[in-house]
Amino acid sequence: MKPGGKTDATSHFAAEKAAKEVNPWSAVKVISPYLKRYSIRITVGFLALIAVDFLQLCVPRIIKNAVDDLQAGLATSNRLLVYGAIIIAIALAIAMLRFVWRILLLGFSRRLEMHLRNRMISHILTLDKAFFQRRTTGEIMALATNDLSSVQLATGMGLVAAVDALFMGLAAIGFMAFIDWRLTLMAIAPMPLLAILTRFLSSRLHRRFKRVQEQFSILTEYVRSSFSSIRLIKAYNQETQQAGRFDRLGTTYVRDNLRLAAIYGTLFPLSGLIGNLSLFIVLFFGGRMTIHGTITAGDFVAFITYLFMMTWPMMALGWVSDLFQRGVTSLDRIHALLKEQPALRSPAGAEQGISIRGAISIRSLSFGYPNQPRLVLKNISLDIRQGLLLGVVGRTGSGKTTLCHLLARLYPVPSGQILLDGTDINRLSLATVRGAIAYVPQEVVLFSESIAFNISMGRKDATWKEIEEVARAAAIHDEIMAMEHGYQTRIGERGVKLSGGQRQRLAIARALLLDRPIIIIDDGLSAVDMETEHAIIRSIASYLKGHTCIIVSHRLAPLADADEIVVMEEGRIVERGTHSQLLERSGFYATIYYQQTSLAGASELAGRADAT
Amino acid sequence: MQHSYGYFEEDHLGQIGNVGLWRRLLIFVAPYWKWVSLAVFLSLIVTAASLALPRLIQLAMDEYILQTRLSIDQRVSGLLYLSLIFCGIILIGFVANFLQVIVLEWAGQKIMHAMRQNLFVHLQRLNLSFFNAHPVGKLVTRLTNDIQNMYEMFTSVIVTLFNDGLKLIGIMAILFWMNWRLTLLLSVMLPIMLIITLWFGRLARDAFRKIRTNLARINAFIQEAVSGITIIQLFLREQDTLDRFTDLNRIYYRSTIYQIHIFGLFIPLIEVMGSVTMALIIWYGGREIIQDHMTLGILTAFISYMRLFFQPIRELSQKYSIVQSAMASAERIFQLLETRDVLPVRSDPVVLNDLQGAIEFGNVTFEYDPGHPILKDLSFRVEPGETLALVGATGSGKTTIINLLERFYDPGEGDIKLDGISLKNFDPHRLREQIGLVMQDVFVVPGSVRENILLNLEADDDQLERLVQLSQLSALVNRLPDGLATRIGEGGMDLSAGQKQLLAFARVLARDPSILVLDEATANVDSETEMLIEQAIQAALANRTSIVIAHRLSTIKRADRILVMDHGTIVEQGTHRELMAQKGVYYHLQSLQNDLGRNEVIPAGGRAPVRE
Repeated sequence: MKPGGKTDATSHFAAEKAAKEVNPWSAVKVISPYLKRYSIRITVGFLALIAVDFLQLCVPRIIKNAVDDLQAGLATSNRLLVYGAIIIAIALAIAMLRFVWRILLLGFSRRLEMHLRNRMISHILTLDKAFFQRRTTGEIMALATNDLSSVQLATGMGLVAAVDALFMGLAAIGFMAFIDWRLTLMAIAPMPLLAILTRFLSSRLHRRFKRVQEQFSILTEYVRSSFSSIRLIKAYNQETQQAGRFDRLGTTYVRDNLRLAAIYGTLFPLSGLIGNLSLFIVLFFGGRMTIHGTITAGDFVAFITYLFMMTWPMMALGWVSDLFQRGVTSLDRIHALLKEQPALRSPAGAEQGISIRGAISIRSLSFGYPNQPRLVLKNISLDIRQGLLLGVVGRTGSGKTTLCHLLARLYPVPSGQILLDGTDINRLSLATVRGAIAYVPQEVVLFSESIAFNISMGRKDATWKEIEEVARAAAIHDEIMAMEHGYQTRIGERGVKLSGGQRQRLAIARALLLDRPIIIIDDGLSAVDMETEHAIIRSIASYLKGHTCIIVSHRLAPLADADEIVVMEEGRIVERGTHSQLLERSGFYATIYYQQTSLAGASELAGRADAT
Repeated sequence: MQHSYGYFEEDHLGQIGNVGLWRRLLIFVAPYWKWVSLAVFLSLIVTAASLALPRLIQLAMDEYILQTRLSIDQRVSGLLYLSLIFCGIILIGFVANFLQVIVLEWAGQKIMHAMRQNLFVHLQRLNLSFFNAHPVGKLVTRLTNDIQNMYEMFTSVIVTLFNDGLKLIGIMAILFWMNWRLTLLLSVMLPIMLIITLWFGRLARDAFRKIRTNLARINAFIQEAVSGITIIQLFLREQDTLDRFTDLNRIYYRSTIYQIHIFGLFIPLIEVMGSVTMALIIWYGGREIIQDHMTLGILTAFISYMRLFFQPIRELSQKYSIVQSAMASAERIFQLLETRDVLPVRSDPVVLNDLQGAIEFGNVTFEYDPGHPILKDLSFRVEPGETLALVGATGSGKTTIINLLERFYDPGEGDIKLDGISLKNFDPHRLREQIGLVMQDVFVVPGSVRENILLNLEADDDQLERLVQLSQLSALVNRLPDGLATRIGEGGMDLSAGQKQLLAFARVLARDPSILVLDEATANVDSETEMLIEQAIQAALANRTSIVIAHRLSTIKRADRILVMDHGTIVEQGTHRELMAQKGVYYHLQSLQNDLGRNEVIPAGGRAPVRE
């Protein structure tokens, strides 16, 4: 990851956030198609939920009647039995309805999660490199996991709890008011206090929680870097010092957590406190009213039961508003992702099924990355005839990789600057261009599947013979056969760990199997030693007779056989020619060449470096 | 994404009934037993307070509200008295709750901090072979997420579990005391509920586990797809990738629906049990009232207590799965703590004084993996003050020689001697003090440049100034905003690779070791830094026994002797000139590139075509 990349991404997020401050709820339209699609399921679910609430509220009425009967001495054993039977009948109905709403409503949120996740991934797959440079893998992962899960929580349990709490709360208040409205007013008097305090505390809670998470990632990074450099730490006897630093970081983490606990230690018992205060009010004033005969004993008991019923909605409301807040923020971020449009798209009406032979022309190509003033490529002109081998050399940062990326159609280029078989690539569909190129990147990405899967991922129809053939050409076959499961060996965390050189050779084999007219190897053999690199390049060259090859290497020697070599420096082509022509010129190429082949003396080197 | 680590291994770890595990946990808790007991005590107060409230309401009803024998004024003032007690208990409960959260957080965090620190110190002590076998990502997960997991258990489970258990017992006791016949009848429900809860707990655990594994799979897949997006797009694998993802997503969805079904059955079932209990109270309790065995207040209290009774039972199953996952984390942590992969150190190590610096490898054989020897019967000597260069292809065993000399490992066969004494007789820390190691990788601790040079040493300003000059850091230090006090590393300035190299030399010079080991790497540095490094190397090599893994020709030529390594053995040795004249492996290595080029063999002696 480039050091600059991260700050870019954060500032991008900040800008995005500022722009979105207007109305994050607009993001809700992302889920509206699903609300429509599942409207019957949702309606039935909520009806069941409300029915459950209603039935639950009936129970205290029955208890009230029973208590009144008992107090009035009207109760008989049979009558009580009837009351009990009614309660059980209601309970069974509640249980059934509950099961129904859980399946319907929570099931909806899970379906929504699944659809959104599929949609996000299918959208991500269409986005171009510019996007992936702005957003780190971690950020995208966070969207597909944490953000999606807060949306699921908000639309599942959140929505349920909101409807439930609102209905239960209002109904309980209604029932209480039906018994006595003055007592009801007194009972709910402390509740606004809860709302105010909750608001006040939650903003602090969020801030301190963020602080805890930041410290946690500092701690994580510290552990990671310590164990990555364990050899040096041991060599310098720094174990004690490292442990001391870790201790200080950990102590800060403990302190941050305590500061957080001070807030939630107040916030969570608060709803209980307020609920109990209401109970206290009802106990005294309601009790006095009962003594004075204004309400019956049954009324009093029912009142208390209703108050107990209010505790849940009161606790839920704070929780729910928090869930919604998070859900909407997350949805907003997901929305922003779904709104991303790739700058790179197939032109309308591009012909399909064109076959490319492999001649490449580059006409005064200049290129700078989006939002960066510096040009990475300056006025590059190059003709690569079909079937030739072009070597590209140059220092890190000279623009070699960028050139490869542009050829492979990973960034948009101005019209008329890159032509394939004489046609402007902007007039060809993405699939046509990409389908013509087999690309081997510097950083090899393999998938946690079998070796055979990884080699044949571009051509599922490849035969075993073909797979082995390319593995041989990439000089990896013998090593694969030496593994316990041969080509079926799994790669990755649960499988074998491959060396850098093995990974690169697999990537070469994978590209060879594609059998496309153009192959680009972007310093794809940096991890093997020079001798092997050269042998592989030779074998590729003979394997790919008639294909156009572009091979980038930071080492010059392996490219000595190339039909043409271009030397890049600061985005320009500074020299070009065959190996012997370039050596004769005694220019930049020759300097680097002798430097690398270790045959020049150190003083000569210094002199040359100064001269250039 | 460290989060995905670990989930795969969860399957058979951490049985709740594992007594040994609990005992080991208790060892960490023991130093804080007073605080933990205080937290438990406070939570008892909270429980007692919440249990006292229904009882107070019952007393208020029976003694005052429904008591017709007293005058109205007496009843009201009695009610006021009880209400005030009620209010006091609410406040005590709230305060105790707050304190309990803080105390528990404090103790829990301290315990976790101790555990984390313990593990960090322990891991640092382990052999390097341990780090070869364990990916850094996993170790980081142990120290961060796994510890966090255990912490969750501490605060949200252990105390609440204890608390809930006491609450259930407390409620049963109060109910029994108020009316034992009714309580006995109600306790018929207990075994039924116990069976349901246990059965459900098992199902829920499986359901959660399935969800977690499937989610981990999804995350791993997204991570791979995002980091491999370029390849996917260039290979035109978008549709195929999406199809595979959709399958994974559907599997995950099914596991979430399964979990909804489980909970959809259990929660209503517990609810029904609650209502059956309620019906029993009304029916049987009502009959008791008719027969004057019980008061109306007690009936109300019974109803209230039953509500309190069912709450913990509903939560029990969820907590069960937290404990489950925490136990798995604990087991993984303890497995690491049990690893005893430490080099044997003599209890009476030989004291190192006035080291001459004579190194002798005698018939050393070494292998990292059994059956794959890296060094084969290797013998050589380095005389005091001599500079020895190691040359050879990657994998020829150069770095392993350094690892053995630093005593990161002990040789399988043969012996390594320093001034004639076997390395096994030294304390590795004292030994490493005598060896200065410079590698391509430089670890920077978050702190000032000064701290980074000195690490655990002390030096006055003059000494430091000299070090900075010798290591060619002056130019850099002068450019830095706060000179030597400038903060670098995490949260400070970033140094370039070349600057870090110079820093590494300053470190070595500050230590003034008798032996210098230089794992020279040709990092990508500009020519100015290259020259500075050159000079720093010169300063570091002066008057010291040195072993250099050399890439720079200047270093190789400066060496008194060159060992050419191939597959763990020495194939040639001598000075640069001798070896070039020999026209053997060394000659081949050096002129390899030319040989592979257009047969332009450059004459031995390292003369490049002169440029002028």
